[in-house]
This record gives sequence, C-alpha cells and structure tokens, in this order.
Amino acid sequence: MPTQTQVEIKANGNPFGSHRVLEPKGVLPQPAQRVDNNMDYIYDNELLLEVETLNIDSASFTQIKKECGNDEEKIKAMITKIVGERGKMQNPVTGSGGMFRGKVLKIGPKLAGKIDLKEGDKIASLVSLSLTPLKIEKILGIKPGTEQVNVVAKAIIFESGIYAKLPTDMPETLALAVLDVAGAPAQTAKLVRPGNTVVIIGAAGKSGVLCAYEARKRAGIMGKVIGITSSDSGLAKMKEQGFCHESFKLSATDALECYETIRKVTGGKMADVIINCVNIPNTEMASILMCRDGGIVYFFTMATSFTKAALGAEGVGKDVDMIIGNGYCKDHAEITLNLLRESKQLRDIYEKQYA
Amino acid sequence: MTNTSSPEVRKDGNPFGSHRVLEPKGGLPQPAQRLDNSMDYLYDNEILVDVDTLNIDSASFTQIKAEAGGDEEKIKAKILAIVAERGKMQNPVTGSGGMFFGHVAALGPALAGKTDLKPGDKIASLVSLSLTPLKIEQIFGLKAGTEQVSVQAKAILFESGIYAKIPADIPEKLALAILDVAGAPAQTAKLVRPNQVVAIIGAGGKSGLLCAYEASKIAGVAGIVVGLEYSKEACDKVKEFGFCDHVIQANATDALDCHAKLLAATGGKLADVVINCVNIPNTEMASILMCAHEGTVYFFSMATSFTKAALGAEGVGKDIVMLVGNGYTRHHAETTLNILRESPVIRAAYEKLYA
Repeated sequence: MPTQTQVEIKANGNPFGSHRVLEPKGVLPQPAQRVDNNMDYIYDNELLLEVETLNIDSASFTQIKKECGNDEEKIKAMITKIVGERGKMQNPVTGSGGMFRGKVLKIGPKLAGKIDLKEGDKIASLVSLSLTPLKIEKILGIKPGTEQVNVVAKAIIFESGIYAKLPTDMPETLALAVLDVAGAPAQTAKLVRPGNTVVIIGAAGKSGVLCAYEARKRAGIMGKVIGITSSDSGLAKMKEQGFCHESFKLSATDALECYETIRKVTGGKMADVIINCVNIPNTEMASILMCRDGGIVYFFTMATSFTKAALGAEGVGKDVDMIIGNGYCKDHAEITLNLLRESKQLRDIYEKQYA
Repeated sequence: MTNTSSPEVRKDGNPFGSHRVLEPKGGLPQPAQRLDNSMDYLYDNEILVDVDTLNIDSASFTQIKAEAGGDEEKIKAKILAIVAERGKMQNPVTGSGGMFFGHVAALGPALAGKTDLKPGDKIASLVSLSLTPLKIEQIFGLKAGTEQVSVQAKAILFESGIYAKIPADIPEKLALAILDVAGAPAQTAKLVRPNQVVAIIGAGGKSGLLCAYEASKIAGVAGIVVGLEYSKEACDKVKEFGFCDHVIQANATDALDCHAKLLAATGGKLADVVINCVNIPNTEMASILMCAHEGTVYFFSMATSFTKAALGAEGVGKDIVMLVGNGYTRHHAETTLNILRESPVIRAAYEKLYA
C-alpha cells in the first residue's frame, strides 16, 4: 500500500458532493465541468480510496480508443489528460464514466457507525466515475481485451455514493462482472409477483439472464417466463440455460410481431411484467404492446427514448406503468452477488462469458 | 355535419391501425411515413369522424408558423401539403401532431357493443394526429391566437385509439383545454395516498394546477402538498388557487436549492410522490433529490431525458420508482372533466387562462 499519511479533515461536506464542485459552482458533481480532486484533505462525510483498477465505461473506452488509433500510450495519455483537466474520469464526448475497484484508505468521522466499512476493505464503486473525484499518480497498464486500466490513484466516494464490499468467496473479476448489472435482477425481484407472466427482452444477455433466473424464482410454479432474443445463438443459449418457459427469436424493434407472438402464447392475456434489457433503440413499442392493461414495463436499456415511450403508450391507449430503470435499489449488490452462490449454473455462465 | 353516406366496410383491420400503413409496410401508424387516408371505405374496427377543428400541437404549429413567416395562407397551404403527402397531420420536422374534435360519422360493425358511441356524438380525439388518418377537404381558417384550425375533413380512429365524448354541460373549448392534459390529474389520483407528502414542480401551470388539486384531495388533511414555481407571479397564483400547503419559489434546474427548500418547508421531510409538470430540460435531478427513499417520481414533462434520470438516481444512490408519464390512463377523460364540475376555482382559472 502506498502513502498512509495523515489527511486533513474538513467539515460540512454536502451529502451529494457539491462541495467538491469547482466549475460551474453550485451544481452537482455529475454535470460539473471540473471537480476538486485534491486528496490532501477529505471532508468529514467522504470516503478516501486507493484505486487499483478503473473499469472505463464501454462507450467512453471505445471513443478514446478510436481517437487514439488504438495506441496504448496515447490512450493512457488521454485518460491522464481528461482526469487532469476535469478532476474526474468523465469522457467529454460521451459524458460517461465507468466504475472502479480499490481499498478503503480513510473514512470521514461523520460516517462512523453509519457504514459497514473499515480501512483496508476491498470495494467496488457502484456510482459512476463521471461524478467521482479521482487523482491518478500513474497508469500501470491496460488489460488487453478489456476496458480495465490498472492505476496508482486515489478517489473519493461521497456520502450518497454507493459501493459494494467485494466478497471473499469469489474472484474479484467475477464479482465485478455481476455487480456491473446489479440493478436489473434486484429490481426484477421487486416487480414480479407469484403467478405473473413475465417477458424478458434480451433474456440471453448479461443482465437478461439474471432477470430470467430471478423472474422464474419469483413467478413460481403458476407463473410463466418468456424470453426474447434477436439471434440464433441467443436462442440456443436461452434454451440451454432453461430459465425461460418459452423462448423466441424476435426482433424487439418489430412491435407487431412481438405482440402477435405473445398474444398467441398467453391466449390473448398478454404479460403482467415486461423487462427490457436490450441496448438498441426503438424497442419501446414492442415493450408496450406485449404488456397487458394495468401491467408494468421496466426499461433497463439506456437506449430508451422517453418521448417514444410516453407518446407510444398514449398512441395505442395502453394504461401501463412504464418505469425508468434505476441502476440502484436498496441491497442490490448483496442480492445480485448472492445469485452466483445460489445458482451454480449462473456462476458457470458468468465465469465462462463475462469474468 | 358533412356527407354521411355509408362507406364500404372492409374486414380484418388491425387494432393498432397497421392496416392503414402504406410506407414503410408492416409498421405502426405513428412512425409511418405515409398512411392510407382514403375515406371511401372503413375497416370494421374503425370509427369514421367528421372533423370540425384540428388542434395542432404547439411545437408543430410554432415551426410551421415560423417557416410560413406568419402568413395565414402559407400556413394553410403547408398544412394541406403535409396531410396530402403523409395522409396524417404529422409535422415532418417536429414529428408531432395534435388532436382534433368532431362528430362521429360511422362506426365499424366489429365495434358494436364495444363502444358507447353513436353517430352524431361530439368527440375529442385523445390520440395524436401524428398517427391519425386524415383527409382535409377544405380549411376554413385559423383561430387567431390559438393553434386551432377550422376544417372540413374526415379522420379515422383505430380500435386502440382513445377519445372523449364532450359532455353537454361543459363548453367545447373548455373541454378541449382540459382534455389536453387529462393524463396528469388522473395519474396523480392513482399515485398519491392519504397522509403523504407530495411535491409538484410547476404547480401553477396548466397540468400542475390539476395535479395539485387531485393531490390535495387525496393526501387529505394530514398530507402535505408542496407546489414549486419559478416566478413570483406563478407562486402568487399557486397561493391564490389554495391547493398547496406550501409554495416554494425555486428554479427546478437547481437541484440542491429545491432539495433544501423542500426540507425547510416540510420540517425535514422529503416527498413520497414528486410530480414533474414543467416542460424544460434538466429538471430530473431536482425531482430525484426531493423524493424520499422508496418514493415515486412521475415525469409528465416531455423534456425529460431518460438517461439523465436513470444515471442521476444511481449517482446519488436513491432507491425510487421513476415513472414515464403516460398520457393515457383508464377513465382519465371522465376523471379530468369532472374536476371542472367539482372545483369552481379550477373552472374559473381554466375559463380565464386556457379556454
């Protein structure tokens, strides 16, 4: 562990971190142009961390890689430059960040008794790097084929920030892979009721497979889980995994075909809950049409258009609750990590494909 | 009433109207480039309407007016050209439509017993003109200072389309003004529970006023309704209406200020339900910060960014349900029209300001 020197403690930190915002003054850290990344002091409600790995957001990493012509040294220089200018690793083009993992160095005194962390604990941040004060001393290297950057760095987590303690019973990479999509299965658990018919769009994907597993558990023996995927390989995977009662190869941009298929398989009743896990545009209408009146559509996909969903439901006169996917819900990290303990099959899938 | 000769009846109309889509084939009417607006035949699940007035969507009308340099004849010509090309009044620049009112001319036989309409009934369409087959015979004129166009025209309502019968005790103009925002108060009635704290952003506006009324009715004496407005004049208006227990003057793009002022007004309580009725961007964070853990944020505003809401809630670790405002909910027209009968204050305000 590097420097364990005393840090000065400052009082009156804002729970959301606005005290670290330098420019423009008075806003929150995410929309800020520049945040204060001075690690010589912490506020009494902050956590100071020693960062080992940055997991750059996929959109951001792709953009940086392209701009740097895939040259590792140029990529490193660009990351250093962004953090130097902004005090946080927020790509100015994509606006996105990523997450990190590291160790707790110091806990602000006001947090004592409020959190379950102690110095030395290994954690993964579950708030975006786009709002996290970060100071990089050195970039050690980029793990080939991944978006992981090994660094000597420090970061701050604000009082409202979320994180997960890394478990000791599974490899870090496995825990990180599943934590990346922790919100999805935890929200599924909250939405699905026994006996429900649930449609999962993208049920063979990284978050979809966790949702399918959780939905099947919650819907119980009287329930029905229907998985949708757009590819042959996805369909084969879904059938092999066996979490869905019914599996279909359908394009989620073809609202009418999705509607017809679900109408037939449900005898006209349609689904109680739709969970949309595919990151492609124009899947709002399929989600809405597959849902029964009074049902719930959960949009996890960041490709969702607010206006397409709002006007689309009105256009077909559907009284459905459409929920904006919230990456956070209480205890989501614990719930999701536990899935890997509960299901050897899920653990195998994750080890093989994502870890 | 115009020509009421019975049109030829065709079979197998799709409930969502995809049978009227000419280009591109196989899609739904809203995203379609061109619809079949022939009124010589009617599918057995359609409603044929003699249109008296088009209420062009505000964004669309503003764009057309600017392009026509404010010249009435050019505006009329532009509307005719759009409808002739697309078979519907969907502005190709803004993508938006509007609504219409008219009289039922004919009902498809498959709808018999399924609808409470009969030929001659006065109705307002509650689905967008952007998906409604329309044929204009003649434009009589524009009503000065409004977005209303008097026409001789015919339109089709699909089986899934929604409409409201205009009641005899409410003047047409007044009914139209309030039906335009019918979803908002009806959803408020569904979301708010007795004794809750409710924050309404834009409580002095056209929809916010109705939401405040419903919220105060349902939250009851032990509940707290807080109205937010930007200007002093609007705040005075909210106070005068008298539906809010507290009125806060704040800028909804300043999340921290809204958060602090709400806590001050309620004695430290965050809102169980936040209803966002302001059509300006960057109000997601204020909505999220004002909401209590496990509370609900309802975004009626079409200026809402899906990603700002999703990432914003995660960024501050808020476990809340964020709903996409659905313009339609069951019985919304009846619920909302009834407010005009229940509340003389609202009726007077609507007569003065919007009708």
